[in-house]
Amino acid sequence: MSSIETLSALRQPTHLPVRLSRYFPLAPPLIVLMIAFAIPMGMMIGLSFHDADTGILTLDNYVRFFGDDLMLAGLWRTALMSGLVALCVTVMAYPVAYYLARSTSRWRVVVFALAITPELAGVVLRTYGWLVILEDHGAINNLLTWSGLISEPLPLSKNLIGVVIGLTHVVLPFGILSLLTSIQGIDPNLERAAQILGSSRVSIIRHIILPLSVPGIVSSLLIAFTMAASAYATPALLGGAGFKVIATMVYEQVLFYIDWPFAAVMAVILLVMMLTIAFIGARVEARLHRKLHI
Amino acid sequence: MDRFLSIFFQLSLILILAFIALPILVVFAASVSPTATITFDPSQWTLRWFAALTASRWLDPFLLSLKLAAVVTVLSGLLGLLAAYVVAYRKCPGHEAIMALLVSPLAVPQIVKGVAIVLFLSSAGFYALLGTPGLIMAHIVLTLPFVVRMIAGAMYNFDKRLDQAARILGATSFQRIRFILLPIIKPGLFSGMTFAFILSFNNIPLSVFLVRPGETTLPITVINHMEYSLDPVLAAVNVASLAFILAAILLFERIGGFSAQIHGGSK
Repeated sequence: MSSIETLSALRQPTHLPVRLSRYFPLAPPLIVLMIAFAIPMGMMIGLSFHDADTGILTLDNYVRFFGDDLMLAGLWRTALMSGLVALCVTVMAYPVAYYLARSTSRWRVVVFALAITPELAGVVLRTYGWLVILEDHGAINNLLTWSGLISEPLPLSKNLIGVVIGLTHVVLPFGILSLLTSIQGIDPNLERAAQILGSSRVSIIRHIILPLSVPGIVSSLLIAFTMAASAYATPALLGGAGFKVIATMVYEQVLFYIDWPFAAVMAVILLVMMLTIAFIGARVEARLHRKLHI
Repeated sequence: MDRFLSIFFQLSLILILAFIALPILVVFAASVSPTATITFDPSQWTLRWFAALTASRWLDPFLLSLKLAAVVTVLSGLLGLLAAYVVAYRKCPGHEAIMALLVSPLAVPQIVKGVAIVLFLSSAGFYALLGTPGLIMAHIVLTLPFVVRMIAGAMYNFDKRLDQAARILGATSFQRIRFILLPIIKPGLFSGMTFAFILSFNNIPLSVFLVRPGETTLPITVINHMEYSLDPVLAAVNVASLAFILAAILLFERIGGFSAQIHGGSK
């Protein structure tokens, strides 16, 4: 070993402080992140505290946001939509994740591929599919009108229902993956022991699987909520003008109303919402892990 | 009771999988249906919507998306290599903090990053950078954290004794990087770059702020059309771009050979 160290000591360039030169390759990536991320973020946050016309430092933009019924309604719709998506995703992901974690059938691979590959298709393709299905003249409404069950088309798109369906579809694979990790971590011997001792399937699920997979449930709820709350394309296409959320309202503010400080306020509020949820979520998850793995 | 539960479980599983597959099947059927009304009757299927894709209104956005994704993939790969080299291979003092800094853009929703970058370019007077240069910048911010993470993952596993052996045998540092480090981290590098390619090619929330008339990416062109009508040609665009993504993944896989790493579960 000592010979290697002497050799490398000889090779070190003497005219540069050794420690600093080791950081040089970091310069290009850090400069890019600085110019394209840190400075824009800093400017945006700064802009949100400035008056649009005079440029004076002020909190007025924030006061305006929280006094504006339209904005508060948008915030409420964002929260409602994300909460519903989180619930739908977790409820639907659970059986799939449980099957993937426990099944030994040869269908397992097929189910896994079917559950995860839609992610490659991108949001546009899937949203297009849902629009074709849910539209006023779409597949479901045509079928129901043709069969005589309804005379007016059911409102399935351009509202909450459409957006929740579309976003559930987009976020579902992530819910499945986070629940899968959690359920795979449960010792299958616990279930076997309960079975030998005469527990029914229902009580095994109720008393063993569900309680031990709580961390997975929490992380699925969290990831689904944050992905839904910050999604843009699905609410824009399936909600449209009929169901505006913060993400689509920010876009309008930047490109149509051109009120930049106010757009900055909306973006900062969305960011703070996400960071708060991520922070609380990390705390809850850490506590649950401590409780379950003492 | 157990019997009932098992049937209920299987039924719900089938319904959920049908829910996942449904919109995708619908798009495939729409792309080959002769009219806007979807048909599942193969005898009526036609490829005429695909023939319409060579028109410049679809070809130009596709080429822009392709060039953008290619540039972003290469730049992200290079920048990611540099960053991961210092952080994960040399493990410089403070490497954990630097890693956290490098992946910090992940904590910010894409739409917020998009607003920040468009406000920065517009209010700092860099209007000229809106369009392709802005798109490249924004997409690199999006993809770099993932690429750094994947390359760093490969470098953390790197057995330092290989490098020491080469050093004892008199290899220069260029030779050690070229013949030892790079081949070993190649799967990590290519899985990161594949991921970057898909993210950039499909991106909406960042691109939507930065495209300009005449410089519009494919997904943005498609959603702009979708707001007015559900023209079946859009279904064909979607299917074709999915086929393209899959082909790109296969190509990257052939060069980089990362599937072994994914299936083998790198630890």
